[in-house]
Amino acid sequence: MWKTVIRRILIMIPQLFILSLLIFILAKQMPGDPFTGLITPETDPNRIEELRIKAGFYDPWYVQYYNWITNAAQGDFGQSYTHEKPVASIIGDRAEKTFALALFSVILVYLIAIPLGVIAGRYHDTFVDKTIVLYSFISFAIPAFVLYLIFVFVFGYRLMWFPTSGTVDVSLDPGTWEYYWNKFYHLLLPGISYAILGTTGIIQYLRTEIIDAKTMDYVKTARSKGIPMKKVYSRHIFRNSLLPIAAFLGFTITGLLGGSIFIESVFAYPGMGKLFIDSILSRDYSVITALVMLYGFLALLGSLLSDIILSIVDPRIRID
Amino acid sequence: MANKNKKTVENFKSESSPPTGIQVVLREFKKDKLAMFSFLGIIALMVAVFVIASWIIDKEAVMKINLIERFTEPGVSGYILGADEAGRDMFGQLIIGAKNSLLIAIAITILANVVGITLGIIMGYYGGFIDNFFMRIIDFFITLPTLMIIIVVVTIVPKYGITELIFIIAAFQWMSTARLVRSKALSEARRDYISASKTMGTSDFAIMFKGLLPNLSSLLIVEVTLNFAGNVGIETGLSFLGFGLPPSTPSLGTLISYAMNPIILSSKWWIWLPASILILVLMLGINYVGQALRRSADAKQRLG
Amino acid sequence: MKKKYWLLLSTVFAIMLVLAACTEKETGSEKPTDKEPEKTEEGAKDEGGTTAEQPTLASEVTNEGDALAGGTLKYALVTSSPFKGVFNWELYQDKYDSEIMKFTTNVLFDTGEDFLVTDKGIAKLDVDVDNNKATVTIQHDVKWSDGTPLTADDLIYPYEIIGHPDYTGIRYDDDFQNIVGVVEYNAGKADTISGIKKIDDKSIEITFKKVSPAIYSIGDGLWGYAAPKHQLKDIPVADLITSDAVRKSPVTLGAFKFDKLVDGESVQFVANEHHWRGKPKLDKVVVQVVPPASIGEGLRTGQYDMASSYPTNQYDGVKDLTNLTVLARPELAYSYVGFKLGKYDTNQKINITDEKAKMNDVKLREAIAYAMDIEQVTEKFYQGLRSRATGLIPPVFASFYDSTLEGYNYDPEKAKAILDEAGYKDVDGDGIREDKEGKKFSINLASMEGSDTDEAIIEYYRQNWKEVGLDVQLSTGRLIEFQSFYEKVEMDDKEIDMFMAAWGTGTNPSPAGLYGKGATFNFSRFVTDELTALLNDIDSKEAMDPAYRGKAFRAWEDYMFAQATTVPMYFRLEIIPVNKRVKHLNIDWMNETKWHEVELVAENPVK
Repeated sequence: MWKTVIRRILIMIPQLFILSLLIFILAKQMPGDPFTGLITPETDPNRIEELRIKAGFYDPWYVQYYNWITNAAQGDFGQSYTHEKPVASIIGDRAEKTFALALFSVILVYLIAIPLGVIAGRYHDTFVDKTIVLYSFISFAIPAFVLYLIFVFVFGYRLMWFPTSGTVDVSLDPGTWEYYWNKFYHLLLPGISYAILGTTGIIQYLRTEIIDAKTMDYVKTARSKGIPMKKVYSRHIFRNSLLPIAAFLGFTITGLLGGSIFIESVFAYPGMGKLFIDSILSRDYSVITALVMLYGFLALLGSLLSDIILSIVDPRIRID
Repeated sequence: MANKNKKTVENFKSESSPPTGIQVVLREFKKDKLAMFSFLGIIALMVAVFVIASWIIDKEAVMKINLIERFTEPGVSGYILGADEAGRDMFGQLIIGAKNSLLIAIAITILANVVGITLGIIMGYYGGFIDNFFMRIIDFFITLPTLMIIIVVVTIVPKYGITELIFIIAAFQWMSTARLVRSKALSEARRDYISASKTMGTSDFAIMFKGLLPNLSSLLIVEVTLNFAGNVGIETGLSFLGFGLPPSTPSLGTLISYAMNPIILSSKWWIWLPASILILVLMLGINYVGQALRRSADAKQRLG
Repeated sequence: MKKKYWLLLSTVFAIMLVLAACTEKETGSEKPTDKEPEKTEEGAKDEGGTTAEQPTLASEVTNEGDALAGGTLKYALVTSSPFKGVFNWELYQDKYDSEIMKFTTNVLFDTGEDFLVTDKGIAKLDVDVDNNKATVTIQHDVKWSDGTPLTADDLIYPYEIIGHPDYTGIRYDDDFQNIVGVVEYNAGKADTISGIKKIDDKSIEITFKKVSPAIYSIGDGLWGYAAPKHQLKDIPVADLITSDAVRKSPVTLGAFKFDKLVDGESVQFVANEHHWRGKPKLDKVVVQVVPPASIGEGLRTGQYDMASSYPTNQYDGVKDLTNLTVLARPELAYSYVGFKLGKYDTNQKINITDEKAKMNDVKLREAIAYAMDIEQVTEKFYQGLRSRATGLIPPVFASFYDSTLEGYNYDPEKAKAILDEAGYKDVDGDGIREDKEGKKFSINLASMEGSDTDEAIIEYYRQNWKEVGLDVQLSTGRLIEFQSFYEKVEMDDKEIDMFMAAWGTGTNPSPAGLYGKGATFNFSRFVTDELTALLNDIDSKEAMDPAYRGKAFRAWEDYMFAQATTVPMYFRLEIIPVNKRVKHLNIDWMNETKWHEVELVAENPVK
């Protein structure tokens, strides 16, 4: 299996290379450039032209790409024009915030989805099951950002249970317990909002899996041996059904990263998704390119991770 | 052949037994009243939207700015769902918006699935180099951060309206269908009836689209239904982020995005809530239909 | 099955109820006032005319109560994206960074009427017009926030940063090169800037190539800020922008100094005990980035004492709140409609007017201007927070603004008459006028994408034009996003016949950079010898006399009005809500409250 994993990782390199070429060309095609936004009567257009020439915007695209890719290969993704600092530093800062939110959301998604899925499966066709199924359907059907907006409004603005901007209170000193608690407090509202809507897949999968398992031979055998139903559930069914759930992890994370564009826009959470939208608007090429590359890489990693977990927990599935 | 046996959670989930015909679907719907009801409901809703939008409502009149009616409340002076800040009728906008959103979602679904299915069948049927070649392309496309690339492309396209939006989104939607169809077609192509047709000298084209395709139909219906739901979501999402249609072309997404303004969210509910509920109802309906279809494609779960 | 639907419906209702419950409190107080404007609208409808209901907003507020000793002011920086965090006047490019820096400002000169330099600031400016020289003298015993005294070296250092070969900012421009010796210094041919001389520890002398009235608006290359040389001198200029001295802990002159910082989100300032005007009365100021969507709620619930600015399309959200006062002042900007009349020649670097341009008919342009119902738009969409602009100089510039100008007031009949006279007649009877040769005539308008309101406003103007028989279509079929808009307008895109945009005037209202023969920003590409002469007059040495300059401005504005190549649309009001616990605040441009004077009357913002 490890051979396969290594090969998959090696395949990523040309994939990422093509992605970089594609996104680089696309990004350069966008009308305007980072300096267009500086237009005011007080700025001198000649100076802006000079800066454009200095930044190499008038070089042919392949020269620009060559310069960029050779630097990128050495870990230097260039300078952000609007933030005027290295791309790596600005993305690193935002990535930390997005990952914290993603991690919290994933944990919450699993905490909500697993019990609900198990209960729905076990008490199949009861009122509880129907309620859970309805919840999972509604969470699938509701336009996510509407719910986010309502949550911000109700719990943030009106009830004031949660902060509505930023990631931490400025008056606290980094390193203290209050500081980390405050950071976590800022994560709560977006995290919970995401988790409430992100459970559909897992609940439905788990539920079907358990319902199926009830009719499986091993369960029948166990029952015929006189093992109480409770024990059959805890010993056999849950174990067998829960393991593949782990495989959802990769996809959940990828989904979350895509969703970060929405959630960070609505909750004014300064992570990578927000950075992407801001960079698109300010034409910060270097940041756009690096972000798309990073998201592409994480998506590849996520699907690899899922496959690996899947093959570990379920030997029936081999990745070769 | 790294990917031949690669199973992702998706197709692991929708693992299905031998394909079945339309009768099974019908039988399933007869058993599941809710799905039936949802199906009829969606059809009725769509027909109503298209009929009202095309024949009853005058778009010019709806989009005409009437400053005196600024934020008129629902039910007042003939506005069923009130008016927006420019005094434009919200009911008319809702219907036109729904029509636009549905049209876009339908067009994307058709476009992406025609490409995906055709390519999938060709890959599965021929296998070998063709399969390998397209599989590499699909592998590449499927890992792209789609939403981000769509946003970048959208900012590049100079004249950007409904048609452009459809093509841009569709360009990133065909891959998963192609992959799914390919994997099914691959196993199907090895079956006896296909080899039999081959020896009888039936043309490849006929085998693919008259032999193979009908056998994948029930699976495809599920795929298409769920794709449709997803595409409604993508359009509304893009419009919400401000990269979709302009407000002068209302869509469900643009109507909902008015809720970004907290004043509208809290005290002008008639602007964004009807569109949100419409999406909710539509998606729920599609989901129920999708569930029933999925069951009919999977013998294990069938109700009858 | 029924149960499920019931559940669904009840969920929907539950959501609505929660929302309703949450808004109830507000609607209670809002209802009566909410109804009022509605009534006036209806009344107006009956009479068949309209009466503009302008909000009369003060620029100053005083609240009752005894001032606290100290306290923390909570200041909301309203922007939808994180701030960039370049806290250095020579290097920053983002306006939100400068909003933050106003608490710590290194500004040398105070300005008064028309934003001209006074001698009440840290430094005094003496201009020797005949010899093209200026002397800057530090008048007070001023210390940096770390206690180091301010010296002439700190006045020279900014010039050395901007002029440095490694400087990558936007300020090394034509204006800056007006200082003698800067070009040589920038090319690395000289170790110092020959035109800048240190006279003694307190004063420097700068020699310019030429001096214009702009020097009193801190133009012509004169730099208005000091830089802490003792902190910055050891950092190479190329590394300044990433250094802690710029990003985290700059040494400053203003009322407050940097204390803590969360990158892109918030800054905590503490009082600068060395501040030359005296120790500030507040202990701290916390600046927090707040997205425009949530600022109204933040102010209502007392999370912030004041906002850097407030989105005008959400004015409804604050105008009736009792815990704050909405202050207003004119923005240094105007919105306009421009007509494309030519092209910019990149080789010769001049604008060339094309006689045959589609819009090169003054009658047509006038008719377009008279057909726009700007008054309705300012009243209904902007709720009186913008007003119809009558000229190209905003009213803040008291000596240069001429209140007798009328501009193009809404008069559709006049517009029709002008069009008839000019030969644009509806030949085929479809309600749309054809051009002079009787061919189909349609005008392409480019406008920038902004809020939802902008879209509605453009549609409204298109309706206006249609009423006088002009077919106006949007270039590209929709509003254009900021970046694409300026690219298209700058490149003289063929799809654009006219465009709507806005200019911030800055504190120097000289129009040369926007209407001059060589100006890239002269997007209309309209140039005549007469216009060039008028513009030169505004910046001439004679215009050092404000009365002369005022007349020069008026002559130019009259010419622009007659040519109608740029139609002024709005003057804007900037609104700043202030919580009732702020004891006194004046935001008037000429008498702005200094930050060290701000006091609070309660521990927490009033809710």
